Amino acid sequence: MSGPAAMIETRDLVKRFVKTLDLAGRIANRLGADVREEVVHAVDGVSIHVKHGEVLGLVGESGCGKSTLGRMIAGILPPTEGTILHEGRDVAGLEGPAAREIALKVQMIFQDPFASLNPRMRVEDIVGEAPRAHGVVDAAGQADYVDGVLLRVGLDPAFKRRYPHQFSGGQRQRIGIARALAVKPEFLVCDEAIAALDVSIQAQVLNLFMDLREDLDLTYLFISHDLSVVEHISDRVVIMYLGRVVEMSATETLFEAPNHPYTRALLAEVPRLDIRRRDYEPVRGEIPSPLNPPPGCHFHPRCPLAGPRCRAEVPRLAEIEPDRWSACHLNDGGVG
Amino acid sequence: MSDGVPTLSVRDLRTHFLTKAGAVKAVDGVSFDVAKGRILGLVGESGSGKSVTGFSIIGLVDPPGRVVGGEIRYNGANLLDLDDEAMRDLRGNRVAMIFQDPMMTLNPVLRIDTQMVETVLAHHEVDKATALARARDALGRVGIPSPEERLHAYPHQFSGGMRQRVAIAIALLNEPDLIIADEPTTALDVTIQGQILFEAQKLCRETGTAMIWITHDLAVVAGLADEICVMYAGRIVEKGTVDEVLDRPIHPYTHGLIGSVPSHNSRGRRLTQIPGMTPSLLNLPPGCAFRERCPRADEACLAEPEIAEAAAGREVRCFHPHLEAGA
Ligand SMILES: Nc1ncnc2c1ncn2[C@@H]1O[C@H](COP(=O)(O)OP(=O)(O)OP(=O)(O)O)[C@@H](O)[C@H]1O
Ligand SMILES: Nc1ncnc2c1ncn2[C@@H]1O[C@H](COP(=O)(O)OP(=O)(O)OP(=O)(O)O)[C@@H](O)[C@H]1O
Ligand code: SF4
Ligand code: SF4
Ligand SMILES: [Mg+2]
Ligand SMILES: [Mg+2]
Repeated sequence: MSGPAAMIETRDLVKRFVKTLDLAGRIANRLGADVREEVVHAVDGVSIHVKHGEVLGLVGESGCGKSTLGRMIAGILPPTEGTILHEGRDVAGLEGPAAREIALKVQMIFQDPFASLNPRMRVEDIVGEAPRAHGVVDAAGQADYVDGVLLRVGLDPAFKRRYPHQFSGGQRQRIGIARALAVKPEFLVCDEAIAALDVSIQAQVLNLFMDLREDLDLTYLFISHDLSVVEHISDRVVIMYLGRVVEMSATETLFEAPNHPYTRALLAEVPRLDIRRRDYEPVRGEIPSPLNPPPGCHFHPRCPLAGPRCRAEVPRLAEIEPDRWSACHLNDGGVG
Repeated sequence: MSDGVPTLSVRDLRTHFLTKAGAVKAVDGVSFDVAKGRILGLVGESGSGKSVTGFSIIGLVDPPGRVVGGEIRYNGANLLDLDDEAMRDLRGNRVAMIFQDPMMTLNPVLRIDTQMVETVLAHHEVDKATALARARDALGRVGIPSPEERLHAYPHQFSGGMRQRVAIAIALLNEPDLIIADEPTTALDVTIQGQILFEAQKLCRETGTAMIWITHDLAVVAGLADEICVMYAGRIVEKGTVDEVLDRPIHPYTHGLIGSVPSHNSRGRRLTQIPGMTPSLLNLPPGCAFRERCPRADEACLAEPEIAEAAAGREVRCFHPHLEAGA
């Protein structure tokens, strides 16, 4: 990256998981199955950047590594290899107050509002605990501070002595957002933050995210498998496939002129309100397993344009135009 | 249809859960038809009674739930008159349901091939090799890579999305006359979803299977269904063809719902939001259930609106539907 440092940048970030055999796997083995220990390359050399004040959408199929990448960026999962830079500084080298400061500045909002809230804590404590512990607010000011944060996300402070189960799904997601906002973050990683909500409630929360961005000058990494939602909210979009970034560009460019064959295949399948009784098409080629991804370009078994080079060589994520990135040999000497 | 009898005809279905706290009227007076080869999209928010409608049709409502009224006619015969055995015979053969949770279809301790072969042999007189070939073919059709090897796996060896695909393959195995699909693709990726929708569509077109596709995703229904029923709080509030309902919604709830869906021209704009939340179905107050959230509500809505024909082929349950020109 040239120019001013991005808020967040990742360089060749890698996360590998070793899947050891669980009880069910061992029992299945005894019954004659053949379940083996496996290594998953959940995130396989990802280099992206998030600019100040933007919403960067992150899209991809289930298991392609979106959550893993989001959790590493949010600082709650250590990378196996690679670097994460915050304002140009390597976060791995930070210690003490500097490390704590970054931990507060980057907050994560999860898909399941219920599982991520402690059921035995009152809303006022869920929201007030972290700012208190980190000195964002003192004991005397805590009650007013919590009221302010709750109002900010559209919750009535009169309910703050209630427990999470006494709220609806949309309200619980607002509690999760309030908890994240309470420590005055500048960057939010939203992982499928509206996926569990009803459509009418999704609109409420999406609008809230947009208001917060305006008012608090927030930057977002917005992870979702729903392309319509990502198109609605993002300035730029990153597309992942089996652990790697295949395309990254401005939202309009990506949706109007997708470069990568995978992006094109994905966009062709997105259900849209204005496409009626369409003729669906079967998937071409084999759908690979994330445990055993194909060599070269991961997409080659399904790619209509694949050639010999695609089976042998991993395509590089290259800037094909200013601020438009794609990882396909067709942009770079061809597939032959 | 030539003989005029729809594959499924539901009339005034009422399914209530008789809990200690009172009756939860999960389905309360639902009527619709699905003709041979047609796809009905059943949409509505969480808790509106979509799944319970499906469970009622295939006779799988668990206590304290009970079908307390109405008729469910399958090829003209009322399913509520069948005994358990006749119902069991129908399920998995002529009528199949794909559940939100695939483990309701799959047996965790049996290999996939065992389960699939059993499903075929239970209803068809073919040899085991034929049954196995059919199973392999069905797995391939729902996009399972290397179906030959996958047949020997146990359900837990699949990811959630793969399990759902196996459950769908089992539902398609015997090419039933009626399929009730309950949010089967919600957890799947769009490309796999496209594959499943392709197979569903093909089955309807080629074998005349009638289908109910339950979902909260209006965009999926837009691409797949012929007709739409919109449910709210246990009732159908709007019914019509896909084009009519999506292009000219007349019930205030449908109207709000469509406005709240992000689309490629909503970028950067605020979405319409329906205020408030879904009411509890326990002791629902009298009057229109959407009243508290409805921008058109007035005193008239303290009474209960009946579902009525609003225009040719369109039904709506509302005192003040959006009928004016251009609305
Ligand atoms: N803690 C873990 N241990 C082992 N494997 C894991 C772990 N977390 C994730 N994985 C694996 O890493 C891969 C990427 O998972 P991840 O959750 O990041 O995907 P995702 O893109 O968020 O998918 P989804 O859309 O389903 O949420 C998957 O194959 C997953 O099974
Ligand atoms: N065993 C039960 N006891 C009491 N109430 C129940 C029971 N099962 C379902 N209900 C109620 O019946 C209503 C309808 O539930 P149903 O599962 O049909 O909703 P749905 O429209 O399928 O929602 P979703 O989109 O979340 O799947 C809900 O209000 C639910 O709380
Ligand atoms: S590198 Fe080859 S296989 Fe991969 S997307 Fe490009 S053309 Fe297709
Ligand atoms: S009957 Fe009244 S409250 Fe109900 S949807 Fe119609 S206008 Fe709104
Ligand atoms: Mg995830
Ligand atoms: Mg349901």
